[in-house]
Amino acid sequence: MRRRGVGIAAIRNKGIAGEKFKNKGSELAEDQINQMSKQLESFQNNLQEFAAKHRNDIKKNADFRQHFQQMCATIGVDPLASSKGFWSEMLGVGDYYYELGVQIVEVAMATSHRNGGIMGIEEMRKRVSKSRGSKSAAVSIDDIIQAIKRLKVLGSGFSLIPVRGTYIVQSVPGEMTLDHTVVLQQAESTGFVTKDQLVTELGWDLHRADIALEHLVREGLAWVDEQGDTTQYWFPGLFHSIIDK
Amino acid sequence: MTTDDSFPWPWQHDFPPFYTLQPNADTRRKQEEAWCTLILSYCKHYKTHQLDVAEISAGPLFNNKSIQRKLATEHIVGILNVLSKKGHVEWLDTNKKSCIIMWRTPEEWGKLIYDWAKSFGLMNTVCTLYELTNGEDSAGQEFHGIENWLLVRALKTLQSSGKAELISLGEANDGVKFF
Repeated sequence: MRRRGVGIAAIRNKGIAGEKFKNKGSELAEDQINQMSKQLESFQNNLQEFAAKHRNDIKKNADFRQHFQQMCATIGVDPLASSKGFWSEMLGVGDYYYELGVQIVEVAMATSHRNGGIMGIEEMRKRVSKSRGSKSAAVSIDDIIQAIKRLKVLGSGFSLIPVRGTYIVQSVPGEMTLDHTVVLQQAESTGFVTKDQLVTELGWDLHRADIALEHLVREGLAWVDEQGDTTQYWFPGLFHSIIDK
Repeated sequence: MTTDDSFPWPWQHDFPPFYTLQPNADTRRKQEEAWCTLILSYCKHYKTHQLDVAEISAGPLFNNKSIQRKLATEHIVGILNVLSKKGHVEWLDTNKKSCIIMWRTPEEWGKLIYDWAKSFGLMNTVCTLYELTNGEDSAGQEFHGIENWLLVRALKTLQSSGKAELISLGEANDGVKFF
């Protein structure tokens, strides 16, 4: 039995075949890249077209903006985030969250003397909307969250404390331990907490409740009310009728 | 101008701890300031010039029935003392039972009147007090219709700084000359 393909010719043949495969391979890859870049180009064109067409909706309609933002986030572009580059030149929307962020800082500073640096996110939204004037587009809770997330990057001391489907905006750079945050969460719906409430709802002992509440009073975040059945600790930043005044 | 418009309460009025003296010094300072502002704007709104402590402590200013909170009389006196240091309150008796309240101090009124007189070209001429507060020229000014005693006190502050001289024109008709 002769084994085939062991001569010089066979080796050459193999070499040719390998080269051919290689050539074909790079051809295919090139095709793919070409195709992909074409797709990307058309995608970019479409997105541009879409964004240009809906520019006003993006700026004016909070719901629409949120969806646009989500769509862009899934494909890894963030047109509303940077104030420089193609997106902002194209759309003029890059400054949006930057602008909002500045207004949030302004509101936080203007009100910190009385709320000690905490407020419900809805109050923040109302105040920011007010400072933007009635002519400008509605600001949604989601916009506030987006803007604060961007502020965080700056290390500005802003953070969001989640509370049962809503948020407390915290702008005090001072230290907030988990206990303090939990007390704020307890106070979110009524504006105040009592020691008993912390003991029964959170299973804390009195000492722990004392320490947390004393800290919050000392930091100027909580006000003491001695005219109820038991001592109540009130948070101006979470006091609801404050919002309309 | 008297109006029946009800007073626009600030948010603090509905805030229960506003009626308890705050243990934190910083917070207490804010609380005192808020009370001072509230008292002055309340008196301005209702054109009140004199307060009886017992009477006012039972009224809506220091007594919010809807949240069942009230400021204790000793704290009311305390706040009025703060206002007295700022020149807005003068006690009428040593027991601190009643006081005069001026939402602008006589000095502030004096400056207001003087600036107006200057802009109106009333320097170095004598005008009667009646003219000043009830004449057509001052219509629309904040001091238009101001009580006579307060006007005289305001002008006296100007007199002591050499900006005006009070002149008696007889028959209870006094005048003033601005410099």
